[in-house]
Amino acid sequence: MANTPPDRDSNSDTGEEPDHDSTPGAPRWVKVFGIIALVVVLLFLILMFTRGSGGRHGPGRHFSSGESGATTAAPSSVVEGDTPLGAGRG
Amino acid sequence: MILPTGLRKFVLTAHVTASVGWLGAAMAFLALAVVGLTSQDPETVRGVYLVMEPAARLVLVPLAFVSLLTGIVQSLGSVWGLFRHYWVVFKLLITVFATIVLLIYIETFRSMAGVAADPDSDLHVVRNASPVLHATLALVTLLVATVLAVFKPKGMTPYGWRTQRQQRVRSQPLE
Repeated sequence: MANTPPDRDSNSDTGEEPDHDSTPGAPRWVKVFGIIALVVVLLFLILMFTRGSGGRHGPGRHFSSGESGATTAAPSSVVEGDTPLGAGRG
Repeated sequence: MILPTGLRKFVLTAHVTASVGWLGAAMAFLALAVVGLTSQDPETVRGVYLVMEPAARLVLVPLAFVSLLTGIVQSLGSVWGLFRHYWVVFKLLITVFATIVLLIYIETFRSMAGVAADPDSDLHVVRNASPVLHATLALVTLLVATVLAVFKPKGMTPYGWRTQRQQRVRSQPLE
């Protein structure tokens, strides 16, 4: 997570904050990041548990096959199906 | 506990290498995903989806775990700490989240490889836009983590604040 230890000689990169009696509130960027992170995690959880059989993450979760333009969409049953790895090989 | 300088630099080197390597691998996956969607050569298209699963398992997953573990060691072994600064906390959450999504998505890689390996499956069925979306989101997420690591935006957590105050009290000379 941390790449380098704080440079104690630099005011802008000391990793230390001015001394106050009370704990300061979170900076604005933290609030913005927090809201974005919350939305992303909620979207992820909603997609995990509401789409696909049993909430599994299949290749057809977001798009049907053949979305490259000139192709036709494959039946979702084919796309969502869990074909074993290596099936049909050889 | 602060790590000795030599060990800290070793862990830092491993962390930067793994993190940037993960970012580069995500770019390579995006390129592969685009080729899989746009190539007119059937063997190339099938090859793309066949190679994604082992490449993810052998490259992306190890890089993700090395990045996560070395990041945690690096944080705990330096004065930054793991929960003292918001940017470190966010970077940890981003890495954990990206690793979990990657592990879940391995099953999707397997499924796509299975379809691609089936000679009876139509090329329209083999092509899938999902890897483009996931590789793009992975790139954005890992870039955000990199920016956080470079800029280290200010902001201490309440825990970090308390720890700093305790250290200052301890370091002040008795009158």
